[in-house]
Amino acid sequence: MRVFDTLWRFLEPALWFVGLLLLWEVLIRIFDVPVYVLPAPSAFLGDLIAQYQRLAYHAAMTLRIILFGLAAGVIPAVVLAYLIAKFRLAEQILYPIVVFIQGLPKITLAPLMLVWFGFSDFPKILLTALIVFFPVLVDSVTGFKSVDARQYYLSRSMGASWWQTFTRFELPTAAPSIFSGLRITVVISVTVVIVVEWLNSQNGLGYLVLRAMDSANTPMIFAILVVGSLIGVVLSALVNVAERLMLPWTRV
Amino acid sequence: MTAVQSETNPSASALASSGGSSKGASIHAKGISKIYGSGENAFRALGPIDLDIKPGEFVSLIGPSGCGKSTTLLLVSGLEPPSEGSVEVDGMPLTRPISEVGIVFQDHLLLDFRTALKNVMLQQEIRGLDKAELRERAANLFDRLGLKGAEDRYPRQLSGGMRQRVSIARALVHDPSMLLMDEPFGALDAITRTQIRHDLEMLWLETRKTVLFITHSIEEAVGLSDRVLVMSTSPGRIVEEIPIDLPRPRPAHLGEYPEFSRYAQQIYEIFSKLGVYRF
Repeated sequence: MRVFDTLWRFLEPALWFVGLLLLWEVLIRIFDVPVYVLPAPSAFLGDLIAQYQRLAYHAAMTLRIILFGLAAGVIPAVVLAYLIAKFRLAEQILYPIVVFIQGLPKITLAPLMLVWFGFSDFPKILLTALIVFFPVLVDSVTGFKSVDARQYYLSRSMGASWWQTFTRFELPTAAPSIFSGLRITVVISVTVVIVVEWLNSQNGLGYLVLRAMDSANTPMIFAILVVGSLIGVVLSALVNVAERLMLPWTRV
Repeated sequence: MTAVQSETNPSASALASSGGSSKGASIHAKGISKIYGSGENAFRALGPIDLDIKPGEFVSLIGPSGCGKSTTLLLVSGLEPPSEGSVEVDGMPLTRPISEVGIVFQDHLLLDFRTALKNVMLQQEIRGLDKAELRERAANLFDRLGLKGAEDRYPRQLSGGMRQRVSIARALVHDPSMLLMDEPFGALDAITRTQIRHDLEMLWLETRKTVLFITHSIEEAVGLSDRVLVMSTSPGRIVEEIPIDLPRPRPAHLGEYPEFSRYAQQIYEIFSKLGVYRF
């Protein structure tokens, strides 16, 4: 019975999804919608299969930038959040700068970065990192600040070193907040990288979108959309799995 | 894997045998006070007060809210420096937080992300003590405190009383020479409080740590202590010292001793005189 329940939990949304696609297909055929306006699922799913090698290659390029961008954004964000949460001076100096940069529409920096760094991966990674940085920073600061002040009385009476305090008390306390920042960020990052690739790339899903638009290949754009959202779904699922494994206590 | 072995054989006398011989410390505080701010904004939160606690003595500090009881505990533990005066533990002047101490606050302050046993074993990890020995002591304490079976549960899976019991085990597992407790039963219901008071008394009778116990409750103070120090309203000073001469272990219903009512009466009268109570 339990196996059936679990199966049904996955099966039910899948069935809904298939049903919607069928409805979409039927409506397109009844109303005879031109394919360059809105392709039927059969059209873009067909493209997805026919072009899977090309799609997979460019998806891998995009995924690479996403992962580097995440690492380059998340790690400094957590470090800086720790400093801001722990040291008054760091908060006073860094927070105004952080707020200012957060206010910038960072995507407009893309052409500028092209001028500075050319057509390499570096500007793409940097821009992704910049955009990823802030949600994680804000949530991590909240996380580190949530350590009860009296917890430090306990750690000091135990004679805990800086490193012990960080690893045994502070980081695990902040971890759920860091993960919640990461969850938001992972989804944003897919969009960001695709947009950056529009402006500045020879490969990746964003580049592929541009090529498809040049030839008014709407089904291809939809196929890319499917691949892009797959990346997003898989990445956030990975974050959830990692959280489940690393923070088992949040589920009890 | 030695830890598993020792767990299967928790000797009943592990507390006494496995290094549970640490003697209670003496606490000697002279003219300590705490003043926040300076100049015109200076606010005196406490004192000056003197404390003289003998090794193995159970002393309660009772007083109205905000009189500086909790501050006293922080000064005695060396976690906060006094503004005036000095503290000596076992004759040594305190210059930094003492490590030979277990502290229990009103909130359990257990780490959400560690199981009950791992919260207790944090003492072993951070202090770098012998793992097998501390596992044995922890097992014994869990047994004594009615925590059997709670070892692998997370704090949020435990009741308020159980959490506070884990927090007491954490304060004792490394066999400190003194136990500082800041309203440890304040957040518990009356029935749980009576039981946990008895369990604490039994543990204390066996180990004879020096205990400084801070409380609002006359029943807890009289029910547990060798001596009760009564504090005035803020800035708190010690206005009366009441030795409690009742046999131990003391019963659940303290009212069965006529002396209990006398002690309680005495404290009520002091509080009335100080204006803590206005009836």
